Amino acid sequence: MIRFEGVTRRYGDRAVVDRVTLDVPDGSICVLLGESGSGKSTLMRMVNRLVEPSAGRVLVNGRDVTATDPETLRRGIGYVIQSVGLFPHWRVAENVATVPRLLGWEAARIATRVDELLALVGLEPGRFRDRFPHELSGGQAQRVGLARALAADPPLLLMDEPFSALDPGTRRGLQAELRTIHAETGKTILFVTHDVEEALALADTVAVLEEGRLAARGRPAELLERGTGAPVRRLFGEESLAFHRLATLPASTIARPEDAAGDLPILPAEASLKQALMLMLSEGSDRLAVPPTGEFPGGTLYWADLVRPA
Amino acid sequence: MPLRPALLAASQPAAAPSPPREATAVGLLAALAALAPFLLGWLSLAPNRLLSPRPAELPMGPELGLAMGGFLLACLLVLLLARRAALLPWAEAAAALALCALLATAGLGARAALEAASPMARAMPAAGVWVAMLLLALAAGSCAAGRGGTPGRFLALAVLGVGGLLATGLLDGLSVVHEAAARGPELRSAFSGHLALAGGALALALMVSVPLSLLALRRPRLEAALMGLANGFQVVPSLALFGLLMGPLAALAALWPALRDWGVGGIGPAPAILGIAAYLLLPLASSLLAGLRVASPALLDAARGQGMTEAGILRRLRLPLGWGVMLGGLRVAAVQAVGLATLAALIGGGGLGRLVFQGIGQMAADLILLGVLPVVLLSLLVDGLLAILQSGLEVAR
Ligand SMILES: Nc1ncnc2c1ncn2[C@@H]1O[C@H](COP(=O)(O)OP(=O)(O)OP(=O)(O)O)[C@@H](O)[C@H]1O
Ligand SMILES: [Mg+2]
Repeated sequence: MIRFEGVTRRYGDRAVVDRVTLDVPDGSICVLLGESGSGKSTLMRMVNRLVEPSAGRVLVNGRDVTATDPETLRRGIGYVIQSVGLFPHWRVAENVATVPRLLGWEAARIATRVDELLALVGLEPGRFRDRFPHELSGGQAQRVGLARALAADPPLLLMDEPFSALDPGTRRGLQAELRTIHAETGKTILFVTHDVEEALALADTVAVLEEGRLAARGRPAELLERGTGAPVRRLFGEESLAFHRLATLPASTIARPEDAAGDLPILPAEASLKQALMLMLSEGSDRLAVPPTGEFPGGTLYWADLVRPA
Repeated sequence: MPLRPALLAASQPAAAPSPPREATAVGLLAALAALAPFLLGWLSLAPNRLLSPRPAELPMGPELGLAMGGFLLACLLVLLLARRAALLPWAEAAAALALCALLATAGLGARAALEAASPMARAMPAAGVWVAMLLLALAAGSCAAGRGGTPGRFLALAVLGVGGLLATGLLDGLSVVHEAAARGPELRSAFSGHLALAGGALALALMVSVPLSLLALRRPRLEAALMGLANGFQVVPSLALFGLLMGPLAALAALWPALRDWGVGGIGPAPAILGIAAYLLLPLASSLLAGLRVASPALLDAARGQGMTEAGILRRLRLPLGWGVMLGGLRVAAVQAVGLATLAALIGGGGLGRLVFQGIGQMAADLILLGVLPVVLLSLLVDGLLAILQSGLEVAR
């Protein structure tokens, strides 16, 4: 678990991060969201001591990070950045093995671990192991970057706009994969982005930063409730706020428990209301069938119900 | 439709590999090299070593005809081989062959001409031969430019070939060789002195610039001071710098006479080495800093974020990524050191410059050449060796 306690960072007399107090529970994804220059990276970099706070403290698993020397601390925390930063003169396998090698693992253990990780991030080990970074596409390079961060199996992952430089399709693919990996490994992830859709797609909790201050925090649905504060409205855009809110609500909650007529378009029960709206628009239908799954008994989703909570 | 075969046939020649970009330049240089001795003369004769030489006829004979034919043929070979990109290295080798044949022709001509002259007479290559040598070197350089390298093949073959010619005594008639034979021990000590001056200055400059560059890497003010100093030295004329160093060093030696045993004094190698080293600071420090910064800030951030130590970053990122750039600076500095060491003779520092300045004093062209040729050769060798090392490291990545 990460805990920021009244953390401030000043450059000159300007507080770039200003008295931020924030908890990131074990096993959750916390997204730091804010405009460019709002202090997201600075806040994140205080966790692995790439930046030292001017005041306040950062705790990881209850221990002040300054109690551990920076190198040891960083080897226990995965770190992924937008520019990836693969070492250009090392092959993919060596890049992934960076931290295990620093930790002095045996060669055989490293080799198995590298193949395991490449497979985990969706790169066939046989094809990619011996490539140099310049032989990878942007998406493949960032997959390697993710594998490198996961190499020594750190419980904590810091990700600074890791997908921002990728095209929208690749970005969505990697977001989905990150969620899968998160579900499989249960890592605690602190994720920085300025992309609101990405934040909603990934976050268990969102922390909104504005000019270095924590302006709002909560689960996506809480954050976008009616009457939310000005910073959130600015960030998500007044006119599209309602639309983003739909993305935070599951469709099954407002489906009426009645048997759907057979010819209605089918919406998966775990879909969001935004997806429901999209399906209605594309199918030209004002009703959708939601088939039963798990505890949900199945039902029908009405256009009228959809527009009401928004 | 019946037109088709004709069209295909017409397009056939275009399918053959077109001559590389270098073909024109190399061909032109080789042709000019072949012509130069005929236009500007092969041989000069002087009544003795101090009087100025006059153009002389080449006394033709069968041996000489053979050597001259070999020279012309080799020039033609350079021109032809350069028309195929794959054969450019062979064109470079042919240029070395042409150079050796050219010198052999001049050597044989000198030998024959001296037989008919007085024993005091001296024979030397005329302008045409020097120009042709320069043109051949340029042709070889163009051949190598295509693959982005220095003409190492040309240099190696030319050195071997000329060494062979010297060993067989074929060039003994040339006055420079005569002069060298007469001053064997002096030449050798001047050569080793020159190496010591250049090597000493380079070592000293490295000892200063390596630690300072490493420190300056993350200290902007130290970097500004270092580069300001290095730039400042470049502005002072070299002789003036040597002169400026004489005073303080003489004072030091007077203060601690023991220093004299180490060669430290106002006159001699010490001020020369210090002065040369001062000039090497700029190429060394700027290339060291540039090389250490080849690893981008994003890369360094990633490395630190993984928990690499600063020493690890230096060893695993900065050095391997920056070798090429740093060696480039070392190359410039080493060649500069060899050149600047010539001036050391002016303040009693020895080296090949002594022969040059003695020659100037006596107005003896051969003596000047005897000093200059090894300097040129040494520069080319140092440059070539470091270039090979540099490209070797780039391939290794
Ligand atoms: N080393 C530094 N020295 C001075 N100012 C800095 C330094 N690092 C960051 N800042 C300033 O702190 C502010 C916040 O920077 P930070 O990188 O945390 O923003 P960010 O929210 O990550 O922005 P982006 O989305 O553009 O990455 C910026 O105004 C930046 O100029
Ligand atoms: Mg940032």
